[in-house]
Amino acid sequence: MPDFPHTQSAHCESGVAANLLTHHGLKISEAMAFGLGGGLFFGYLPFIRINGLPLVTYRAAAGNILRQIAAIPGVRMVEKKFRNRDEAMAELDQALAASIPVGLQTGVFWLPYFPKALRFHFNAHNLVVYGKEGNEYLISDPVFPAPVRCPAEDLARARFAAGALAPKGKMYYLTQAPAELELKPHIVRGIRSVCKMMLTSPFPLIGVKGIRFLTKRLSKWPQRLGQENADLHLGHVVRMQEEIGTGGGGFRFMYAAFLQESAAAMQEPRLQECAAALTAAGDTWREFAAMAARLCKKRGRPEDSYPAMVECLNRCGAMEEKVFTELSQWAKQQP
Amino acid sequence: MELPDHSSEEDITDGLKIVSYAVNSKGEYELIPDFVWQPVNVVNHQAWQEIEKNIAASKDKIAAGRVSCLHYYMIANQMDTSLLAQYTGQPRWKVCLHLLPCIFNRLSAKTLQKYAELYKISPDDLTQGRLQPLIHNHQ
Repeated sequence: MPDFPHTQSAHCESGVAANLLTHHGLKISEAMAFGLGGGLFFGYLPFIRINGLPLVTYRAAAGNILRQIAAIPGVRMVEKKFRNRDEAMAELDQALAASIPVGLQTGVFWLPYFPKALRFHFNAHNLVVYGKEGNEYLISDPVFPAPVRCPAEDLARARFAAGALAPKGKMYYLTQAPAELELKPHIVRGIRSVCKMMLTSPFPLIGVKGIRFLTKRLSKWPQRLGQENADLHLGHVVRMQEEIGTGGGGFRFMYAAFLQESAAAMQEPRLQECAAALTAAGDTWREFAAMAARLCKKRGRPEDSYPAMVECLNRCGAMEEKVFTELSQWAKQQP
Repeated sequence: MELPDHSSEEDITDGLKIVSYAVNSKGEYELIPDFVWQPVNVVNHQAWQEIEKNIAASKDKIAAGRVSCLHYYMIANQMDTSLLAQYTGQPRWKVCLHLLPCIFNRLSAKTLQKYAELYKISPDDLTQGRLQPLIHNHQ
């Protein structure tokens, strides 16, 4: 049976990136892959609808982490998209025959090994196929504790899922990775790109401005949508923030773990402080999520209300603004 | 952090352990295998309740003869007309027409086959108007 270093991780894309790099001899952690890829983000995009509810995203667009990692000198990644299903599967088999582990973007809905409760039409899931036995593919899905198997027919469906963020059979594999990586410049580059998105985006829906925009909208939901629909919207925000694949706290904890690891790698106490501050921001996001969940369940405590959540989100916005201002100042001082 | 009351609702991952980041006693981050955080179960449950509500409404409409049984399969698989159109490679207006019973009853075997394949049912289920359980459940 082919061998692949499967490590369970919290987020699919950074997990795939870390596992693929580790397979090629460059051992990095998931959090580091997430940070180098500039994975953190915030966006409230009500014009994109998921199951009829506005898109809230806490991470960079699908494929962004891999793209930034592939741009590191010494890393070469081949990426292909397909129109034809048979062609896409044949190409995958060919790569597997040459014992190359292949990363795929898939939809979640059609994957039979996924827990029933998580099978929504979400198309930006990433996994690694590392072998084929009979009619079944051997899959290292980074959010699962152990490798799993999936029939060819279902995998083909998942690769050609339709709808928002359709994967179009996207597959990618590394052809080259450096044996050792000077992390420092790439850490700085990753942090810079995140700070830029979080602080200086001209669009009011993105970054810290986006958090404030969502807060303002959220405060009006009960009047605009009615209580029941408002709770539905609220639950959706919490799902995007906390459901599997986020590592908790809307990716904030994962990014804090990256900052901590970078602080150790670069002997940089300021990053350590930023990590602690971002953890505090993540805790505040969780406070919001817990309160929202209580309201959704109609088991709110006396102090739970929409104004209280607005206050909580305002704190999140302020904390993140502070962290990323500090980080961008630090990044500016770096060579 | 204090969690909301633990209730009897089952874990959304069917007992599968996931990993998440947490700070240990030394203040360092660790990946810790754990069950899903309780509020996640709550909001996931809420989303499924909404889907079930839609399915019940669709069944009522079919019983009243206002839509074809294709509507049930569409709703039960969390699709809308545009997603169904993309999956079957047809324009959306055609899918909309196929939701009407009078037009659905005259569909060609080829078109029925398309829908049957997508939802992993037999074309007979569609012509007889049998409502099979969700795709998730019969796998």
